[in-house]
Amino acid sequence: MHRYSATQTLLRLAADTPLVSNLGPTSDELWHASDGRRDRNFYTYGSMGLCSSIALGMALSTDEKIVSLDGDGSLLMNMGTIATIGRESPANLIVIVWDNELWGQTGRQPTHTAFGTDLEQVARSCAIPKTATVSDEEELASIFTQALQEDGPWFIVAKIEEQDYLPVAPVEPEMTLYRFRGTFVERPIPMPSH
Amino acid sequence: MDWAETIVQALKDSEVSLISYVPDISIYKVIRLIEEDAYFRAVPATREEEAIGIASGAYAVGRNAAVFMQSSGFGNCINALGSLCIAARVPLPMFINIRGEVGEFNLAQVPAGRATRPILDVLGIHYYTLDDEHRLAERVSGALKLCYASRQPLALCLTPLLHGGQIA
Repeated sequence: MHRYSATQTLLRLAADTPLVSNLGPTSDELWHASDGRRDRNFYTYGSMGLCSSIALGMALSTDEKIVSLDGDGSLLMNMGTIATIGRESPANLIVIVWDNELWGQTGRQPTHTAFGTDLEQVARSCAIPKTATVSDEEELASIFTQALQEDGPWFIVAKIEEQDYLPVAPVEPEMTLYRFRGTFVERPIPMPSH
Repeated sequence: MDWAETIVQALKDSEVSLISYVPDISIYKVIRLIEEDAYFRAVPATREEEAIGIASGAYAVGRNAAVFMQSSGFGNCINALGSLCIAARVPLPMFINIRGEVGEFNLAQVPAGRATRPILDVLGIHYYTLDDEHRLAERVSGALKLCYASRQPLALCLTPLLHGGQIA
């Protein structure tokens, strides 16, 4: 399974569900797959490891489903957040981990998942009730469809093969945040009273 | 109102209703008030930068959120502040208990405590030190208002002279 094609599949199923994307190629590919025109994409640009923590904060603050598109290298940096997701157990959170067993952008060094670390088992041991590992798009589409309909939290490891990168998405953090926030509140820029 | 109640009231006045924190005994009093108050959703985090991510996510969907931590863990969230909050202009109030102040018994806690405010300076993050109750309500409320008006993270540094709490 390739991430870009799988991202296109997820977008078809997600309708207007908010998506939070890990930094680098995951965000670039989400932007390209959305033709740069989806206000409910929250791209991250840094803060490596925090993609699913950001999604957790969203899920605890809205009733809508929230989807995190995380990565194995990033999540390994902040595995504690899997425990926090298990502890808080937001029914509306779906974590998808693109697992290529590599730190792809930094020179394709193998990550710990190439040596036996099983992130789905980590999630299960952190009391996350709905978990899966999938390795083709059909399986991913099926479990994602179920996750959109059923209470979670969900933790889905999607095994992928690395591919060539698309051009960096022409987006920037402040615009991303306030455009996204504007789909939840009438006035995304806070205006403190005098 | 004592210092802890004053902070809780200021948070409510600014509609800050999600609090993510890493526990600290000195400021436990305020966290306990928050945990016991149905107005708030308290989210204990495993690490400080995780708390920053959770709070930023809450803000992204329209809910004001703050974090509590101690200075020893502040260094864990420098990149999150730089590459998430400052970059995206997330107004994030941070309440930081400063170790290494008067009464500190553990020399290991001194360096990071002493470095916290200089690090805030070089990050360009505005902060106020709260070391007594003089005009505390105005200072906390005013800082929160400034935080949201400027849409940048802002720190309130709490010392033992304010909370007089245990140090551990």
